[in-house]
Amino acid sequence: MYIIKNGRVHIGNGTILEHCDILIRGSKIEKVAENIIEPAAEIIDADGKEVFPGFIDPHSAIGAMGIPTRHLDTDEIHQPVTAAMNIKYSIDPDEVNAQEFYKSGITTIGCTPGNYNIFGGQIAAFKTAPQKMALRLVKEQAALKCSVEAGVKQVFGGRKQAPMTRMGILQMFENTIGDARREKEKTDHQKVICQVFDEKKMPLFVAAETKGEMDSLLHILKEEKVEKVIIDGFCFGDCAEEMKAQNVGLILGNVNALSQILKHGMKMEKLVELAENGNLIAFTNTCSGSSEGREVFIWTAIEAYRAGVDAEKVVEMMTLSPAKMLGIADRVGTIEEGKDADISIFSGHPVTTYAAKVERSIINGEVVM
Amino acid sequence: MKILIKNGTLCTMTENKIEKGDILIEGGKIAAIGPEIQDPAAQVIDACGLYVMPGLIDAHSHIGLFDFNNEYTVDDANEMTDPVTIAVDARYGVNPKAREFRASYEHGITTLLITPGSGDVFCGLPFALKTYGNNVFDMTLKAPCAVKIALGGNPKNTYGDRKQLPMTRMGVAHVLKETFRKAKEYLDKKERKEDVDYDANMEALGLALKGEVPCKVHCTQYDMLTAIEVCKEYGVHFSLEHAWGATDYMDEIVESGCDICYGPIATYRSPGERRKIDVEAVKELDQRGVNVALITDSPILSEQSLYHHIGEAVREGLPQERALRMVTVNAAKVLGVADRIGTLEVGKDADIILVRGRLGLDTDAKVEYTLIDGNIVYKR
Repeated sequence: MYIIKNGRVHIGNGTILEHCDILIRGSKIEKVAENIIEPAAEIIDADGKEVFPGFIDPHSAIGAMGIPTRHLDTDEIHQPVTAAMNIKYSIDPDEVNAQEFYKSGITTIGCTPGNYNIFGGQIAAFKTAPQKMALRLVKEQAALKCSVEAGVKQVFGGRKQAPMTRMGILQMFENTIGDARREKEKTDHQKVICQVFDEKKMPLFVAAETKGEMDSLLHILKEEKVEKVIIDGFCFGDCAEEMKAQNVGLILGNVNALSQILKHGMKMEKLVELAENGNLIAFTNTCSGSSEGREVFIWTAIEAYRAGVDAEKVVEMMTLSPAKMLGIADRVGTIEEGKDADISIFSGHPVTTYAAKVERSIINGEVVM
Repeated sequence: MKILIKNGTLCTMTENKIEKGDILIEGGKIAAIGPEIQDPAAQVIDACGLYVMPGLIDAHSHIGLFDFNNEYTVDDANEMTDPVTIAVDARYGVNPKAREFRASYEHGITTLLITPGSGDVFCGLPFALKTYGNNVFDMTLKAPCAVKIALGGNPKNTYGDRKQLPMTRMGVAHVLKETFRKAKEYLDKKERKEDVDYDANMEALGLALKGEVPCKVHCTQYDMLTAIEVCKEYGVHFSLEHAWGATDYMDEIVESGCDICYGPIATYRSPGERRKIDVEAVKELDQRGVNVALITDSPILSEQSLYHHIGEAVREGLPQERALRMVTVNAAKVLGVADRIGTLEVGKDADIILVRGRLGLDTDAKVEYTLIDGNIVYKR
């Protein structure tokens, strides 16, 4: 049991509490208030420090790539529809550990299948602390990962199989949903697809980056009631009206990679509009399916701030919004009583200054750094 | 045309600190720096509330050689037909219409070193250019400004896939040493006025052996020791490019007297070359007197990510002023053009940026003006 004393506490929902204490018992946050008195508790002094809920990268290929092996563990590309795949079985905890995500304040990732399959498989929310697997897994089957990006046609078209074109990709996406609904003897993949689209058992995360991909996807999904999130989404500024109309979430990819800003003529300032409309927005280390280091998560958050999004709104995009997308906001995403004690104590505000270093990282109540 | 920048906070990047002051520009050069300069003939830029500093320099980029703006990547950076292609000149491969040039000067980056990639052991000849201009040759500041060499996984995988030398790190070292030996022999024969068949590659490496340009050696982790050993043996000046894992080879780096071009950062960590991405190394290297530049490898990462690179060094405890040196004066030294750019001093090229906020510290710092050779090429 310990108290993080006197910090500037960012709740994660836009609120800041000055000179606030946090009482942690076991793996949970027990109390958030001023001047908590608890003689038995150890004290962690956070005077003059900025205290944040652990950041969440809701879409990370790192953790399941199987980097030293010949075939990535993220892409079961023997066929383009593998919706029944559960990424939990591909996660290599050592690969996550090697990234030291918590040094950038990231305490949970949504470990994900890659971008080469149209229906790739199911995302799992996973803590970044080097702890026992059972403690780290927050939620499996947290979202169904799909992709309509060019990677799909490059893989299957390269084998002279469908889909070879964007027409092929989008048609297969649309038909696969329809077939799953119509089929009486459903395959495992079809069962999962129906669970997603008809029973809304988990949200739909779809990788799409060009305006054409995003427009087509949103056209197909128009009448679908499932919760929708677009990954990468570099052309969000060109599709903002439809995204607002359908209240689509956005997990913005690594904008600094491979000329994405210039290639897509990105309109970062449109983030403000989407956020004001209530669309959930989050950030990810990936771009077109390949992941880079933990730093790019904060860099993209900074780009949002530079484009005019309020700093605390950006914090929400790093914490509560991704937690909501993954359906784990009951456990993580804010500093509130009863939630997991996933907390970073920074020397400054990482959205507004580079001179902000994680001094302590707490995950599941354990000080890991 | 004369331009007078008034009342800015000057970051000269020299030992001579001037806090508030004016800069007079004439003929593309800095004509005067000091307090209260008056010149009725000059166009005045009010820099009140702005930081005035030398244009930023990225000492390692591939802009115009790699193009990621289309569905398929264009690679004009790697002439991977032979592990030794020293004489290919990066200027001939650069797409002068690459949009990244504009993004560069709009973000205050006024000079780039553009280098061939790392698919060969000897990759070609890098050059330095100003980011604004009509064609690559007019924009060129110095060509060539190095011999680009690459160790490690890139050349090994290029030729390993073809079952050709080099397939291994020891193979790479063999090609490296053998080529240096041949070039030395070639030069010696020429000096003795013996008959030699003209060899463009040997002529190009000769530039490094004669001390006219340094070698830029792509290497990380344990490959740094190979680079240091061979470069020392042949007495060439060199920089270690990327230099991930430098914290493990600190003494050897300092002792060798080489420069370091560190970056890009923000790559995932995996066994081997990417095991350690240790930007904290630049702080200790700087303290121990090593000339360090921070690099983006753009367009692998965007040119504007240079801000984030400076910022990450600051996050690791490097003072902001020292970090800014790593993208100005230090980088100018790496490029061999410190007589022209990198500081605000009388007589230097008027490559100047005016910035609102502290670059590398305030995440929302923005360039308000960029001047190259005394011309306002960008105004926010």
